[in-house]
Amino acid sequence: MLKIQNVSKVYRVGGQDFIALHNINLEIEDGAFMSFVGPSGSGKTTLLNLIGGLDSPTSGEVVFNGFHLNEMSRDQLAVLRRENIGFIFQSYNLLPVYSVYENILFPLLLNKQKESQVRDKVMALVEKVGLSAEANKKPAELSGGQCQRVAIARALVKDPLLVLADEPTANLDVENSHHILEMMRTLNQETQAAFIFSTHDEKVTRFVNREVALEDGYVKSDKVKQPNGELI
Amino acid sequence: MILDMAFKNLIRQGMRSLLNVLVTALIIIAIIFALSLLNGFQAQALRNMSTTDVAGGHYRVPGFDILTPTEWEDLTLPVPQALRHLPHSEKAEVLVQQGQLFPNRRLFPVQLRGINIDQSLLDLPLHTLKNGRMEIGETIPVVLGKQMAKKAHLTVGDTVVLKWRDKFGAVDALDVRVMDVAPMINPRIDEGVVWMRLDHLRQITQRAGEVTWVAVKRPVGPVAGFEFQTVENLMADLLTLLKHDRRNTRILWFFLIALAGISVFNTQILNVFKRQKEIGTLMALGMTSKKIIRLFSLEGILTALMAIVAAAVLGVPFFIWFQGVGFDISHLSETGFPVREKIFLDIKMAEVVYSTLVTVGIMVLMSWLPVRKVARLEPTQALRGRAIT
Repeated sequence: MLKIQNVSKVYRVGGQDFIALHNINLEIEDGAFMSFVGPSGSGKTTLLNLIGGLDSPTSGEVVFNGFHLNEMSRDQLAVLRRENIGFIFQSYNLLPVYSVYENILFPLLLNKQKESQVRDKVMALVEKVGLSAEANKKPAELSGGQCQRVAIARALVKDPLLVLADEPTANLDVENSHHILEMMRTLNQETQAAFIFSTHDEKVTRFVNREVALEDGYVKSDKVKQPNGELI
Repeated sequence: MILDMAFKNLIRQGMRSLLNVLVTALIIIAIIFALSLLNGFQAQALRNMSTTDVAGGHYRVPGFDILTPTEWEDLTLPVPQALRHLPHSEKAEVLVQQGQLFPNRRLFPVQLRGINIDQSLLDLPLHTLKNGRMEIGETIPVVLGKQMAKKAHLTVGDTVVLKWRDKFGAVDALDVRVMDVAPMINPRIDEGVVWMRLDHLRQITQRAGEVTWVAVKRPVGPVAGFEFQTVENLMADLLTLLKHDRRNTRILWFFLIALAGISVFNTQILNVFKRQKEIGTLMALGMTSKKIIRLFSLEGILTALMAIVAAAVLGVPFFIWFQGVGFDISHLSETGFPVREKIFLDIKMAEVVYSTLVTVGIMVLMSWLPVRKVARLEPTQALRGRAIT
């Protein structure tokens, strides 16, 4: 589903080049449930942004579902994200004036679907993430865990091939983090959407099937979960 | 969908939107108010000039100039045949002569203005003269305007020596009695003017049947021996003054419009700045830059439309109330403007429409300008809130 070939990313900061990613090569299969781990500045978020078409590599290529992202215009990338990729952000990034229901509905409206046709689907998802009672509340009225559940529902409502989650548990306490990760694992199994996290949270390791460790822009390790539950 | 989003954003932003709408509405009201007040002022000045002095024009003795008093005595003629038959409602015969008052032993040069007391063409507060006798007794009845009375320190009932020269150059003098101090709404017929009956002025100057001019309701064509002065000629100085005023109003109008534009521009820049993360999120969710620009521009347009509604809701009652009380300009009563103590709005629909349209146009433009930046934003930068600094 996803090929990352010789990808490098260089930022110019204060007149100097900063290499965020060095020649990364990865291949990610459909329905993956994996994480990019590493300390701050290791390149996790940059890699997620390149995969999601939010940024473009300085060199190399990202191929998603047969689309060569480098060759696509901004508008084409927007359409690709709209139809195939869901995003979950560390600080939730919910639309502040919309209710829980409207935030989850929003990606479907962007895909030109009519509210009347998708209302049940949205409400089912609201229920699945345990927010039926909060459906009409605004993000400001929700806890961090609830906001992140809305973000997850919003990412999944359009049945994406890929969900990119940037530090999804960073702002949550242990219990909420656990619930969120459990929920994402369940949804991954149910929907077959691939989930890629960036995280430096070691709790995440227990949940993922594959863990790519990054350090200073290099892939330090690429471990896959074995039948015994160990990542090797 | 974009329209629905824009509407929701606008409504749910609450106080911020409300203040935006309110400021714009108040600017629209202020623009219309300023323009209409000036219109009212000008209309009143022109109307007052017309009803008290100019009427539909003057048939004047050729060469007469109100600013050259030394020639007034030489420039009088009998009322021309062509104007004699006009009814009192369509003409006012006026004789203008020099004179000197001596209030408190001071010499006060004055314009003696005699007017046919039966005329009803001009609206002049001279009814006390009408009640007086045809013949001159020991005193000549006169009426003064308030400004004139104030400057000469005269009040109703006062008598004061008046000196003048008759047609043959003989100097004569007699007391005049102030029958009334009347509020003249036109300073040109107030300051330095002593009003008396035409027959009295003719009698004391021995100019039987003579006039300096005949004000008419409308021109009756060429009149032998007289030249016709149009309304525009007679009001040339006032019209020039009003033209300058209009230019000043345009400058005021421009400033108000600029103020509205800057206010909206500032709000939109703040909007885009504060909502960078939201913009980044919309980009991540797959909204194209064009649609985001359209969304923000639409919010600006909706604000403008709501401002028009608010301007109507707030402005109409205010204008209705204002027409009841007027704008007190009594402090201007000593200036040269022929206006009453209060002026009222003269709202011109064309001005309302174009001022509103221009305000809305500026708002839309000012909404769109800062949002253009969105098209160049990197989604990752916007998501971090660092795209616009």
